[in-house]
Amino acid sequence: MSTLKMDRPDDVAAAADAALRARVRDFYDAYYDALDDVRLEDWPDFFTEECLYRVIPRENHERGYRLCTMQAESRGMLQDRVTGLLKTQMYAPRYYRRFPGPLRVTAGADGIRTRHNLLMVQTLIDRQPTIVLCGVCHDRLVEDEGRLRLAERVVVFDSEMIANSLIYPA
Amino acid sequence: MSTASSPASRDFTQQDRPAQKRWTADGASQVPYWVYSDEETYRRELERIWYGPHWLYCALEAEIPRVGDFKTTTLGEKPVIVVRSAEDEISVVENRCAHRGVKFCQSRSGHTKDLLCPYHQWAYDLRGELIGVPFRRGVRRQGGMPADFDTAKHGLRRLRVEVVNGVVWATFSDDTPPFREYLGEKFWKHYTRVYDGRKLEVLGYNRQHIPGNWKLMMENIKDPYHAGLLHVFFVTFGLFRADQKSAVDIDETGRHGVLISRKGAQEVNDVTADMRNFQGDLKLADPRILDVVNEFPGDETVGMITIFPSVILQQQVNSLTTRQIVPTGAGGFDFHWTHWCYADDTPEMKLRRTRQANLFGPAGFVSADDGEVIEMCQQGFAASPDAEALVTMGGHDIAPTDHMVTETAIRGMYRYWREVMGL
Repeated sequence: MSTLKMDRPDDVAAAADAALRARVRDFYDAYYDALDDVRLEDWPDFFTEECLYRVIPRENHERGYRLCTMQAESRGMLQDRVTGLLKTQMYAPRYYRRFPGPLRVTAGADGIRTRHNLLMVQTLIDRQPTIVLCGVCHDRLVEDEGRLRLAERVVVFDSEMIANSLIYPA
Repeated sequence: MSTASSPASRDFTQQDRPAQKRWTADGASQVPYWVYSDEETYRRELERIWYGPHWLYCALEAEIPRVGDFKTTTLGEKPVIVVRSAEDEISVVENRCAHRGVKFCQSRSGHTKDLLCPYHQWAYDLRGELIGVPFRRGVRRQGGMPADFDTAKHGLRRLRVEVVNGVVWATFSDDTPPFREYLGEKFWKHYTRVYDGRKLEVLGYNRQHIPGNWKLMMENIKDPYHAGLLHVFFVTFGLFRADQKSAVDIDETGRHGVLISRKGAQEVNDVTADMRNFQGDLKLADPRILDVVNEFPGDETVGMITIFPSVILQQQVNSLTTRQIVPTGAGGFDFHWTHWCYADDTPEMKLRRTRQANLFGPAGFVSADDGEVIEMCQQGFAASPDAEALVTMGGHDIAPTDHMVTETAIRGMYRYWREVMGL
């Protein structure tokens, strides 16, 4: 890449594209690291103040139903989700690990649209790991305060019969 | 499978009982753990409760508005198809081909002209009557069904159905009384408070498998004692607290129950002092989830009804759901949530209901606690089948109360359960 002469518009576009993709990849690496490491307090900051976060069963999504398994309409609601997880909810201890698939990135007028598969694996104490969520993420990233943030994240999951609880976010 | 006669008229002999299972204590204040874990007892529950004289929740009418619309579900362990077979008729038929037993309909929902098994293309009309058997008369004078084969005798098994204010109920038994009588007049009033005849609309579904006995889910919603302790979110934000004006009502048989309460404000008082994990200083960053409006007559904000054995009808502030229980063995059940609204709700009201849905379902601020604690109960029961759970909060009585410091509705259910099960 460094030896490339950027005098043709195609090359410039390609380089810009590669740089953008690298930034987006870094963003997701940081996002999933924070969640896998259960740094929940850091999680809302990956979103813009006005945002939409949805974890929705595939059947609801495809039939146009708005009901979500988890929903937030602002960063504040994401913070409340964290408050619930840390202060009010009761659940057995567990680890979640997230395995995102290859990333599709499309720049558009309203931000950067991305799509990737997501597998979330849950391990409870002394138990074998199980899949807690299998789905696809339709996200929109925007520039906000000098960094990329999620303005919209819609996680559509095929695994509609949830293995008891969905505790931590996707 | 028997279409049971009324439970009281049965003759229960010692040999009839599951081996080694004795409920030694009187009444229903001590529940032996084997009722949650013994497979033989569970098989008997399927026969006497699920396929016996009880109405089972199937669907909301709004899910199948047009003739030919169907959805599949499971009653007890039996797969069924719920289909609108005429403008003013809903049929519930077993999803099992009369020929070779194929569970032929694999879709969750859809629209169809007839019911067709893919194996040998036996076709049934929307009421389950057999209308097509390929090669019935043979092929070029060879083979075919015997001359005495009567299609009228080989339809799909049809269940009795009642559609009551937008909800579809079915029963396997001929002895089940009409739905209103099954509820009793008191519970008819509770039922029609929310299911008042207005048209309903589906907002969406949540589904979860809870690895605990199905009765634990019924008990959970018959137990207001836990709601003010386990659910810190509820208590912290005043949605359900032990000092609020509340009531527990039970029908005459003891099988149905309702928890009624009124929300209050966030506060610290002598009741919250009894809660080790109470979080008096918590603030929500975006409190729109608590933007509640009073929409039903009276000042009650919570009405949680258990219709034995299959469903919980939830009205918790503005969140309305049916929570269907589908048992999958002694140790687990599938839990299907249908969140709904009234068809004439404003967009703001629909948004409010979907927002409050964050409290419920498998990721709910409140309901996730229940799935977790039910799994933990089952873990405790499994190794000690002969130990007993204590159900003595509020004494030993089985009667309605005007407070929530009681387990009376759980006792009511087990009094009825023992009667039906002959144990």
